[in-house]
Amino acid sequence: MLKRILLSTAATAAALALGFLIFAWRSAIAEVSPVAVAEFSPEEIEAGELVARAGYCATCHTVAGHAAYAGGYPMDTGFGIVHSTNITPDPDTGIGSWSLEAFRRSMHEGVARDGSHLFPAFPYDHFTLTSDADIDVLYAYLMTLDPQPEPEFANTVPFPLNIRLLQAGWKLLFFDEGRYQPDPAQSDIWNRGAYLAEGLTHCAACHTPRNILGARIASQAYDGALVEDWVAPALTRANMAPADWTEDALYTYLRDGANATHGVALGTMGPVIHEGLMALPDTDIHALAIYFADIAGTSGVTANSAAVAAALDVSAIGLVEQQNADARLYNAACSSCHSNTSGVLLTARPELALNSTLWMDDPTNFLRVVLHGVSLQAGDPGLIMPGFAGRLSDDDIVRLSNYLRETRTDRPPWADLAARIEELHGDRATGQ
Amino acid sequence: MTTFRLNGQEVTVRAAPDTPLMWVIRDELGLTGTKFGCGIGLCGACTLHVAGRSTRSCITPVGDVAGGEVTTIEGLDPEGQHPLQLAWIAHQVPQCGYCQSGQIMKAATLLKDYPAPTDADITAVMAGNLCRCMTYLRIRAAIKTAAAAMAERAENG
Amino acid sequence: MGNPLRRSLSLTRRGFLIAAAGSGVAFGFTRAGLAQGAGPSGMFEPTIWYDIDTDGIITVNIIRAEMGQHVGTGIARIVAEELHADWDMVRIRHVDSDPKWGLMITGGSWSIWQSYAPMSRAGAAGRMALIEAGAALLGADPEDAVAEAGQVTAGGASVSYGEIVAQGDLHRSFTPEELEEMPIKPVDERRLIGQPVAALDIPEKTDGSSIYGIDAVAEGMVFARPKLPPTRMGSVVVSIDDSDAATVPGYIRSIALDDPSDTVPGWVMVIAETFTAAERATDLLRVEWTAGETANTSEQDILDRGAELIADASEGSTVVDDDGLSDAFANAANELTRTYTTASAMHFALEPVNALAFEADGMFEIHTGNQWQSLILPILAVALDRPEESIVMRTYRLGGGFGRRLNGDYAVPAALTAKAIGGPVKMVLTRVDDMRFDSFRSPTVQTVRMAFDGEGQITAMDHAAAAGWPTGVLLPSFLSEGLNGEPFDGFAISGADHWYTVGAHRVRALSNDLANKAFVPGWLRSVGPGWTNWAVESFMDEAAHAQGADPVAFRLGLLDAAGRNSGTAPDSIGGALRQAAVLERTAELGGWGREMAPDHGLGISTTFGQEREMPTWTACLAEVHVDRTTGVVRVVKLTIVSDAGTVVDPDSSTAQVEGAALWGLSLALYEGAHFVSGEIAETNLNTYTPLRMGDVPEMEIAFIDNGHVPCGLGEPGTTVIAPAIGNAIFAATGARLRHLPMRPADVLAALAARD
Repeated sequence: MLKRILLSTAATAAALALGFLIFAWRSAIAEVSPVAVAEFSPEEIEAGELVARAGYCATCHTVAGHAAYAGGYPMDTGFGIVHSTNITPDPDTGIGSWSLEAFRRSMHEGVARDGSHLFPAFPYDHFTLTSDADIDVLYAYLMTLDPQPEPEFANTVPFPLNIRLLQAGWKLLFFDEGRYQPDPAQSDIWNRGAYLAEGLTHCAACHTPRNILGARIASQAYDGALVEDWVAPALTRANMAPADWTEDALYTYLRDGANATHGVALGTMGPVIHEGLMALPDTDIHALAIYFADIAGTSGVTANSAAVAAALDVSAIGLVEQQNADARLYNAACSSCHSNTSGVLLTARPELALNSTLWMDDPTNFLRVVLHGVSLQAGDPGLIMPGFAGRLSDDDIVRLSNYLRETRTDRPPWADLAARIEELHGDRATGQ
Repeated sequence: MTTFRLNGQEVTVRAAPDTPLMWVIRDELGLTGTKFGCGIGLCGACTLHVAGRSTRSCITPVGDVAGGEVTTIEGLDPEGQHPLQLAWIAHQVPQCGYCQSGQIMKAATLLKDYPAPTDADITAVMAGNLCRCMTYLRIRAAIKTAAAAMAERAENG
Repeated sequence: MGNPLRRSLSLTRRGFLIAAAGSGVAFGFTRAGLAQGAGPSGMFEPTIWYDIDTDGIITVNIIRAEMGQHVGTGIARIVAEELHADWDMVRIRHVDSDPKWGLMITGGSWSIWQSYAPMSRAGAAGRMALIEAGAALLGADPEDAVAEAGQVTAGGASVSYGEIVAQGDLHRSFTPEELEEMPIKPVDERRLIGQPVAALDIPEKTDGSSIYGIDAVAEGMVFARPKLPPTRMGSVVVSIDDSDAATVPGYIRSIALDDPSDTVPGWVMVIAETFTAAERATDLLRVEWTAGETANTSEQDILDRGAELIADASEGSTVVDDDGLSDAFANAANELTRTYTTASAMHFALEPVNALAFEADGMFEIHTGNQWQSLILPILAVALDRPEESIVMRTYRLGGGFGRRLNGDYAVPAALTAKAIGGPVKMVLTRVDDMRFDSFRSPTVQTVRMAFDGEGQITAMDHAAAAGWPTGVLLPSFLSEGLNGEPFDGFAISGADHWYTVGAHRVRALSNDLANKAFVPGWLRSVGPGWTNWAVESFMDEAAHAQGADPVAFRLGLLDAAGRNSGTAPDSIGGALRQAAVLERTAELGGWGREMAPDHGLGISTTFGQEREMPTWTACLAEVHVDRTTGVVRVVKLTIVSDAGTVVDPDSSTAQVEGAALWGLSLALYEGAHFVSGEIAETNLNTYTPLRMGDVPEMEIAFIDNGHVPCGLGEPGTTVIAPAIGNAIFAATGARLRHLPMRPADVLAALAARD
C-alpha cells in the first residue's frame, strides 16, 4: 500500500535545491552489538507484540514464502518496485545493529540508522505520534525475534528517484514531527482511539486521499481513496453504505472482520484486522470504534433499524417465478448464500442490499469480490466465497452487477463495468 | 501442497492451490459423493461445507480452504442418518439422485440459518441448487420434515 | 402407427424354467427353441429372470438403466407381487451389456408397460413351483398349501422360500401354453402393487455412495477432455499446436481421433494426469479445422427450412391419410390455419456425459451410464474395428437420462482414445462441451389446418410437422413406413395422430434435412409428443375460440371414440372415452369455468401421452397470471390427471408426473436455446436457465386407476403443460403464443398484435 506516496519522489527531486541538503543531513547512529534477549522482560516483549499488531507491521514487512518481519514485500510505486525492509534483528540485513535511539529516530523521524531518509511508504508521518514507551516495547519485541536474512529482491526505482536524500524535501513540505497530544475536550477512551488511529494503526494512510506529491490532503481527511486497486472507503459522512457506521457496527467489524450491516474486511483491510487488530484488547477496539463513530458523525446512534428494514424489504426480489434472465442469474449464483428472508438479518448470510461494496460510487471492491471470492482466511473467518472469474463471462458479471445495483440500492448505475472487469481480472491479491 | 481437514481427518494434497476443491476431493481423495454439474458455480451439485457452511466446490480453489474444515456428504453423518437424509428417504426425494448430495448439504446450511424455515426461506436458499429431475416439491417437503425432526430432537435433549 | 423399436421389445412366446444355478435357484424364461439339457443359465431367456438363494434373498435382474425412475423397484415389485415374496427380501441387480440380455434400451416410458405381463407370469410360475416344493417338504398336498410373504404354509406348518431352495428339489418347467394360461391377479387381490414402497435405490442417493458413470475408476487411468470442432459433423483437423497446452503441469499429449464410425469427426482429445489439467490444457490448445458445411447455419435457417418443406405438399411421409381431405378443404365454409414453432431444447442432464474405456483380457470395457447399450455397441465395433462380442458396456447410475443417454455417442471418443494410447482413459466433458455435443431436441415447425362446413362442423384436419429426426439419423432401420411408402420417425410425429374425431384427418411427417446435417437430433423427454401436442392442443383451443365454443366442451365433443378412436384391448381399451374422462376430471378438479381475477386465466390441454398403442391419457389445467407491462407469466397452479391404467407404485408414479410436468413447465417458459453459426449459443446455466425451486407452482396431481394395463408415466406429464399455459395466457389476455419457449418479449409482442 501507499505506493502513491512514491510518486512524490520525482516531483520532489525536481523541487529540491542543493541548499536543502543541509536541512536534510542526518548523521549515522553508531552500530551496536545485537542486544541480548535477556535485557527485555517478558512483559515488555508481550506489550511490544501488541504494538506491532496495532501497527500490523508484519503485513508490509513480510513476503509470502519467507519469514515474518524479514521484509521483501513488493510495493509497486508506479516508478518501480520497492521492497520492504527486514525488521528482524539480523545484523547484516535487519535491525540487529540498531540501538534503541536509532529505532526511535526511524519511527519518529523516518530516518534509518545510517542517516538515510526512509521513503514515506514507511508511514513515519503516523508513527511520529507514537509514545516513546510504545516504541521502546516494540523495540524489545522486534529485537527478540529470531534473526532472519532478508529475501533478496532488487528495487527497481531508477536513478535519480532512488536518491533517498531527496526524501527530506518531502518531509519539509508535509511532515510534522511530534508525539500525540490528547484532546482535553474528549474522553480518555476517545483519545486512546485517536492515538491508535492517527499513530500506530495509521488508518488515514489508506482512507485519506493524497495529493499529486503523495501527501495526505488534510481537508479531505478520511474521505476515502483507491489503494492497491481496492477502495478504502470514506470513514466520514461521505461513506455510501446505507446503514450507519455506528459505534457498535464499527466495533463488530474491527473485532471480527465482518459486520452484518456492512460486510466483511477484505483486500488491504483484511490483514489489518486478521493479522493486526485481532490481537488487541477489547478496550482498544472500542476506543477505535468510538473515535471513528465520531468521525462518521454517528456517535449516539445505536440502531440501524430503518436501513436494515429497507434491505430486508428488497432481499427477496427476484426469487420467485422470474422470467427475467438477470434475476435468474442472481438466483443461480447468489441468493442461496446472500438472501435474508426471515425478517432477521443474519451475519452468516451477508446481505447485499446492505453491503458497502454495492453502494460505492466505484465498483472495484464489488467486482473484485465477485471475480475472486473471499478465502477462508480473509473476510469473516468461517465464511468462504468462491470467485466467479473465468466461470461467469464478463457479460454475466456486468448483468449481475447492474441487476443488484438496480434492485438493491438507490444509486445510479455503474459506468464502464466491462472495462473495469477486464482490468481487474489478473488482480487476485492477498487478503482474498 | 495444501493441508485441511476432510470429514474430520487431516489431509494434505498435492494439487496446486488453484485446483478446484471438488476435483481434489473426487479424484485425489476419492470421495465421489460431491458431484460435477456445471463447473461455474450455478447448479449446486458440488455443494459441500467449509467451516460448517455450504460452498460450491467446483469454483472454490483448494488453497482457499487451507487449514479449514471441509465436510462432504459422506461426512455429514457417519451412518448416513442425518435428519435430512432420513427425510429424503421418507419423502422418496431422489430420482436420478445426481444433485441430491448438493441439495442435502445446502439444506443443512439452510436449517442452520433457519431452524424452522418458511417457504420463502427454502425458495431463497435452495434457489442455487438445480434438480434436473425436478424433485423440488419433495425437496421442500423433506426439508420441513427434517426441520421438525431436528426441533423435536433438540427439545428432547 | 406402430413403433418398430417398441414392438421389438415385445417377447415372443417362451416357456419358463426353474432350475438350480449357482448357490440357489434361478427362475427364467427359456430361450426360444432351446432344447432341454443345456446348462442351467444357458437355458434361460436372460432378459427376464431372478434367483432365490438359500437365505431366501430374491434378486431380480434389471436390464433397464436407473436414471431416477426407480425402474428396478417397479419391475421387482411386479415379480414380488405374484411370487408372494417378502418385500424386505427382494434385491435388484443392474446387469452389464452381455448380448445374452437381448435388446437393452430404457426410454419411451416403456419399461413398466413392457415388463408387466411377463414379469407377473414369471412371479406366478415361481410361486407355483415353490408351493409344490414347499408342500412336499411339509408332507402336504400342494392344493392345501398357500404362499404368503415368502413362506409356504400347509396344515399349520411353514417353510420359508430360503429353506425350500436349500432343501427342496426345486426344478420345474412350464410350456408357453401353461405360462399364458397363468392368471394375473385381479386388482383387489394385489398386496404390493399399488401400495407405497420405498424404492431400493434411494438410500444410496442420500449419502453419496451411489456410483455414477463419472465416478468410475480404473487403475492407471488418465483423463481426457475433447477440444470440440466448430461443427458437430464434417469438421476436419488441419493442425494442432500444443505449445501453450504443454505448459500445464500434468499435460500428457493431444491426439486427433481417427474415427471409422464417423461419430466424432474432427475431435481432438487432450490427455492429462488430472481432469483439471486436461480441462486447462484444452483451453490452451490451438487447433485449426476446416469446418463442416453447416458452419453458418442458424436456428432461423432450420425453422425456415422446415416451413419450406411443409409448404411442398409432395414432401414427407403420411402417417394418417384419410380419404376426402382435399374435398373437405375445397368445400369448406371456413378454414383455420396456424403455424407453431419450438426452439432448440437441451437435455442438460446434470451429469455431463463421460465414459471410462480400457481393454482388459481381450475385452474392451466401457464404463458409463447409458440408456441404450444395443444402439451403441455396433457403432463401437466399427469405431474400434473389433467384434461387437469383444466389447462390453458396464452401466452405472445415470445422472439424468431424459433421452440424452439413449445416444451413447460419447462412449466412442473415450474408446478411441483408450485404444490410441493403449491404456485406461476417463473422458469427462465439461458442461460447455456437453452442451455443444448434445443431441438436443430439434427446432420444430408445424402447420395445422382445419376445415369447417356451413354448420361449423369440422370436416377435416391436416397436420404437417417438420423437425430433425433422431431415429432417422441414429437408427434409420427403425424408421416406420408411412402410408405413402415414405419412412417416418415415430419419435418425431407421435401425438399428431390424436384421438379426436375430426373428419378426414391427415398427418404428414417431414424430416428437416438441414437440422439433420447441422447437429445430431436427439430424443428428449416425451420426444415427439413434447412438441406435436404444442401444436395440436394450442390449435384445438384456437379452433374452439374460432367457433365460439368452450374449449373443454369442444374437445369432449371430438373425443367420441368413434371408428379408430374406439381403442383396442388391452393397451388402449376404452379409447378416446378414457381421454374424455381425464379431461372432464381435470376440468372439475381444477375448477374450469370459475371466476378469474384480472389478468388471470385458465387453460386446458389433453394428450394421450406417448403413443396410440400404449396411451397414458393425460390432461392439464393451468392457471396463470400475466403481467401486461413486463410480459412475465406466472403459473399459479397446475392440475394434472392421468389414466395410466394400473398404478404400480403410487408414490413413484406421482413423482414421475411431478417431474415430467415441471419439465414441461421448464420447456414452456424457461428453457430454449439458439443455434447460431453452426453451434448452440447457450452452453451453461448463465444463459440456459431451467426451472428452479422458486419457479414451482402449486400442483395437484391425480390418477384414474381403473385396473387396466399399466402404461408409462415418465413422460406424458411433459406433453400437456406448454399448451395449457399458452391457452391460459390467451384466456387471461387474448394474446396467442405460438412459439416455445414463451418469453416475456413474446407475450408483449402477442399482446401488441391482438386483433
